[in-house]
Amino acid sequence: MKYEIHRKRGFLLAAAGAIALVLVGIGGGFVILLSGALSTDATTQHFRLTHRILDAGLRFSVRNSSRSIVAPTLTDPAMVMRGLSCYRQHCVQCHGSPGSAQSDAAKGLLPIPNSLAESAREWPPESLYYITRKGVRMTGMPAWEFRISDEGLWSTTAFLMTLPLLTPERYRQMEDASLSESCPPARDGSTFSTDRADMLLRQYACHSCHRIEGIVGPNSHVGPALSDWSRRRYIAGILPNTPENLVRWIRDPQSVSPTTLMPDLGVDEAHARQMAVYLMALK
Amino acid sequence: MTRLAFVTACMILGACARQDSYQPQVPGGDAQRGRIALRQHECGVCHLIPGIHAARGYVGPPLTTFAMNVYVAGKYPNTPAYLVRWIMDAPALAPETAMPALGVTEAEARDMAAYLYTLE
Amino acid sequence: MDTNLAGIQSTLHAASGSGAALIHELSMVLFAGATLILLIVIGLVMYGIASGPRRIVIRHWIIYGGLVFPIVTLSALLAYSLSIGNSLDVHAPSNALRIQVTGKQWWWEVRYEMPDNAPAVVLANELHIPIGQPVEILLTTSDVIHSFWVPALAGKVDMIPGRINRLVIRSDRPGVYRGQCAEYCGGQHALMAFHLVAQPDEQFRSWLARQAQPASIPDDPSLKSGYELFFRGGCAECHTVRGTPATGQLGPDLTHIGSRRSLGAGLLGNHVGTMAGWIAGAQDLKPGNRMPSVNAYTGRELRLVAAWLASLE
Repeated sequence: MKYEIHRKRGFLLAAAGAIALVLVGIGGGFVILLSGALSTDATTQHFRLTHRILDAGLRFSVRNSSRSIVAPTLTDPAMVMRGLSCYRQHCVQCHGSPGSAQSDAAKGLLPIPNSLAESAREWPPESLYYITRKGVRMTGMPAWEFRISDEGLWSTTAFLMTLPLLTPERYRQMEDASLSESCPPARDGSTFSTDRADMLLRQYACHSCHRIEGIVGPNSHVGPALSDWSRRRYIAGILPNTPENLVRWIRDPQSVSPTTLMPDLGVDEAHARQMAVYLMALK
Repeated sequence: MTRLAFVTACMILGACARQDSYQPQVPGGDAQRGRIALRQHECGVCHLIPGIHAARGYVGPPLTTFAMNVYVAGKYPNTPAYLVRWIMDAPALAPETAMPALGVTEAEARDMAAYLYTLE
Repeated sequence: MDTNLAGIQSTLHAASGSGAALIHELSMVLFAGATLILLIVIGLVMYGIASGPRRIVIRHWIIYGGLVFPIVTLSALLAYSLSIGNSLDVHAPSNALRIQVTGKQWWWEVRYEMPDNAPAVVLANELHIPIGQPVEILLTTSDVIHSFWVPALAGKVDMIPGRINRLVIRSDRPGVYRGQCAEYCGGQHALMAFHLVAQPDEQFRSWLARQAQPASIPDDPSLKSGYELFFRGGCAECHTVRGTPATGQLGPDLTHIGSRRSLGAGLLGNHVGTMAGWIAGAQDLKPGNRMPSVNAYTGRELRLVAAWLASLE
């Protein structure tokens, strides 16, 4: 009996200690965060350990997420050439190419975009495809699935698989030969179609200027807040707020108001409709 | 303790981490007079304006965070000079707008602008 | 819109010569009498306490204090209040001005029949009367029960479906008074008000003559486009503008809308801004009323329509 009481007390003490530790940890985290001591600049490098942990996390995550992806045949030369055209258009700026460095903007990034010549040696094609398609958060790597068609993404992967085998001279020859090709954009394919209108709003970067209900963003006041949108009677003070007019405005704001700050984002009809449905549902 | 709770609360909201370096001043504008003028001109028929009785209109945009807004009418920098001109004669600045010129005097417009710049 | 109702919608500020002034007088007499009696009773109690115990004739107190005094006082009051009631129930002479007011959810249709088969002057939410003479108001409703009440001029009179109630009002004081529906009539009952303008006979006549004029098609190009947009937006389905093809019967007659003191039955002031706001956002301002929030106009068109309507003075 006595032993039991002691055991119980010991357990309670341990639990209280654990809770106290957690609280101290959270409190300490807050103190560090609020003190401003954490550097957010891109010139202070990560601790080696931090970098290793983040890198390992990336590898485990990508391996897990790309499990069910099955790569098509990636050896077709035409496909490789098409992939090179994507690489030339979208990748060299940050990743460079055999014999050429990345652009200046990319040189200042943290983490630094790696040379993709090595990637094919350490990642399976499914993982390369997955990273290219979905991007990597908190790095400069965007999700390309909304810009490049699925076929284009696999072609890019096919090119990446051949990249380690290229001399600078061979790369330049292939590059010249690829000039007639162009990277197939998502709009012509099926990739950039999603039922999730909030994804569309984010992928057209609407939230960089608008605060939009249901979307986490930079709390911007550049454009008007898009909350309780269904109650608004006018779009930009000009068009009656009907779904048709909203689609028109999203697709071509300058045709309605030539001096508006709202840019033409090249939104296609179907996407504008989905966005309009989303906005019109905001009570 | 309350201070810590406050800091924690606005951390979660991300609000107090923000420091606005731009604080527009309207020369000669008086926010309290502006509040009365906004009410007298019945701006609330079209706009949602915090602090003004029955100002719950949805024909124009809500003016809830007006001081933070970067642009007026999606066209002009939100500076006192543009705002005062806009309040006095919006169609002169944007011929397609629904906002009419309401015969607001410049002094009234300054007061209204001063009030709108208190809305964060 | 009216920020201070004390001067225009209060039984305590009754207009001279009006029924409300008589009612006010009666209230004041009752109030003063009750105060006097209260003071006498308090005085007797104080005296009783101060003078200590002594013998009184209980019978006298019961007979004089408990029977004679109330009978005399209440009888006098009854006679007085009956005489007031009698003078309230005046019959207007047969040549008196008659105005028909119809309660509607949630506004007031006001109609002046004109001589010589001329078309009636129909307006909304605003009555004008000449001062110094009794005016008969014929009250009815086209839907539910409403009650017509101008606190500074007269008591309440209900407007009952299928009946025409009469109210004779009179004001010797020129001025603008505000009235309100005094019988719950649905969701926007609280936003069902009107203005009554009492003015010298001459001014009243010229006002009525002006209201009798039809609207004319404007020459000014921007007003003209506002006029055309009015029809393009379907407004004429519900509204009449005399002198134009607009003959809708559901909503208020807009022939002289620009001359009125309010929009939305006392809800808003009347200028081009409230006009535009009401057209585009009537359901935000007065939810459930029959006027839709019109979404047929671009921003510029909305301003043009509002400007044309505001020009109809």
